[in-house]
Amino acid sequence: MDLLNLIDLAQSLIDGVLFGTTYSLIGIGFTLIFGVMHKINMSYAAASIGAAYLSLMLVSLVPAPVVYAGAALIGGVLGWLIYLICFRFLPINNPLATLMSTVGMLLAIEELISHLTLGMPQNYPALFSSTNIEIGQFFLRGDLIFVFMLGCVAMVALTLLLKRTRLGLATRAVAQQPVAAQLCGMDVNATNAGTFVIAGLMGGTAGAMAGAAIGVLSPLMTLPLTVKGLVVTVIGGLGSIPGAIVAGLIVGGAENLFQFMRGVSERDIYVMLMLFAFLVLRPGGLFAAPGGRD
Amino acid sequence: MSRRTRTLATLTAAAAALGLAASAQAQEKTFKIYGFGAKSGVVGIFGQQSEAAMQAAAAIINKSGGVTLGDGSKARLVVEYLDDRCNAEEGINVLRRIASQNDAVVAIGPTCSNVAEPVFGILQKKAGDASDSGIQFPLYTDVAAKGGLASLSQWAFRNVPSEANMYKSIFEWVKTTRPELKTFWGGVEKDFAHSNATFGVIKTQADSNGLQVLGQSEWLLNDTNFSNQVREMKRANADVVAISAHPFTSCGVLKEMARQNVKPKLIVGLTSSSSMETLQGCGAQAEGLVIPTSFAPVTDDAKNAAAAVQAVNPKYNMDLHNAAAFENVFTLVDLVEKNKIMGRADTIQADRQKMREALASMKETKGLLGKVGRTDDREAVKPYLFVQAKGGNWVVAHTPKQ
Repeated sequence: MDLLNLIDLAQSLIDGVLFGTTYSLIGIGFTLIFGVMHKINMSYAAASIGAAYLSLMLVSLVPAPVVYAGAALIGGVLGWLIYLICFRFLPINNPLATLMSTVGMLLAIEELISHLTLGMPQNYPALFSSTNIEIGQFFLRGDLIFVFMLGCVAMVALTLLLKRTRLGLATRAVAQQPVAAQLCGMDVNATNAGTFVIAGLMGGTAGAMAGAAIGVLSPLMTLPLTVKGLVVTVIGGLGSIPGAIVAGLIVGGAENLFQFMRGVSERDIYVMLMLFAFLVLRPGGLFAAPGGRD
Repeated sequence: MSRRTRTLATLTAAAAALGLAASAQAQEKTFKIYGFGAKSGVVGIFGQQSEAAMQAAAAIINKSGGVTLGDGSKARLVVEYLDDRCNAEEGINVLRRIASQNDAVVAIGPTCSNVAEPVFGILQKKAGDASDSGIQFPLYTDVAAKGGLASLSQWAFRNVPSEANMYKSIFEWVKTTRPELKTFWGGVEKDFAHSNATFGVIKTQADSNGLQVLGQSEWLLNDTNFSNQVREMKRANADVVAISAHPFTSCGVLKEMARQNVKPKLIVGLTSSSSMETLQGCGAQAEGLVIPTSFAPVTDDAKNAAAAVQAVNPKYNMDLHNAAAFENVFTLVDLVEKNKIMGRADTIQADRQKMREALASMKETKGLLGKVGRTDDREAVKPYLFVQAKGGNWVVAHTPKQ
């Protein structure tokens, strides 16, 4: 491999890792809900994109950072609505019921977006989109660096919320021992709803950052982000927030690397093989104790 | 007359009037043209705009008195458009559903080439072949543009432009007017039938017209990150870049090209990207993009048709795809009248046969940009021109001799 190829390889890795922040944010949402309720919310990525779409109503009124904040808040509201519709009144001990209800919600959100926008991509505001940082032969996109840093801020904020607030304490308690938490006087339903709101805030941020990184919003984004979010959640470890963060960056980087080395037709095969390898060799994910064989 | 009697009389008169109206409605003849295509999903705009164009055409025809059927009576033209979601299985189901209707003589569609290919595949291959149990139902396609599909069945007819001819012409034009351009790099949406097939044509024509093909970049319809592909493009530094992709990924690539400061001397796009979607998504980055197209509002017919579609629904526009649907409705009505198609349940199979033969015997049709020729393999030879993105609009760059 000559120098030019090495540079391109390194650049692919850098671009992929920066883009992987959006995967981390989506993965955090999936893993947060699984960690607390031991259930998967399949509509999470779609709701994140939906929040970004709804924040478009603010675009002509306020600057971009306020649009992003709006997307986060709308994501929180959507998260609460999804909890109410798909989880609150469904039997807790029937995991298939909530799985199917969230699959239905995913399809409903996607169709709603397609119908309301006629399937046309919508421009989404990006900060620093014309800023590029050149370091020698390397080229860093200003908007991706901003997305990366905002993603890091969101993750730190989430960690602080979970570790330093009563809501975070309640969330962790319900995640570990829901019966004991209830016996201690915690309202499990309220805590679960709060978790969905927190996850929704992250999701809205993720949707906004995905839109900002790509420059447009499109209904085409919901399904691939759902798949990537699930891959990140499994690789990071179900219920592990640090795992989702690291796994998102790994999946983003690996995806670009595979594409550089093997082309776009084989890229997704290798990503799935990577997932398969984790499921076989380390089923608990990156941040879990390695599982033994039965 | 007592109050009670007056009330009864009024009610009786009202009931009689309602009955007459209902009876009149029931007696009003209708002739239905079916359509099917992608009305939902990410390419839903194509089917929605085709439906709007068909309804606009029907409104014009009905304003002039409707369709004259084989028995001399007049019928109101009705359009019914079904959704196949750009999915092959659903397209086949929709066709079977349409063919089972006893008021379905012909249908316009489908939108997607990946639907058209299997749908044409279930039609009877050779008309009149008793050993072939394929569906005997004429289809007149407006959008699905992958080359050569009509040859799959003698019941399949298309009114789509020949992309082979258009790209041959555009690269001949480039060779003549831009002789300084020497090298070519291609970009292709690999998992979409139309863009993938057309890229083969683009690359061949680029090569045939003296451009050195340096290579190509590939991506998928759902991709959102094009940094690798554009970096390949940047390294190649070709004079001409062709992007064989639909608006979403075309815009993604164009934006990445702007970021990485990749500025080829000429960018050529895919026919399907000569739409408002591209200009709305990335008007600034698409500046200068040249695309061959079979529709632009450059004739009175074309302008009136575009206005008629906007009258149906202001959110819809006319482009090369739904312009064909608009033309198809007029062509089919003309054939119904000339071939005395009855449009009755008891004559339905005979009507379909007549329609097929009428479509097969057409030598030319009337298009919005001029006469449309017909080939022996049931394809169209449509007039076309080259449009260029300029200041957020598509302007005519060149009208080649045809």
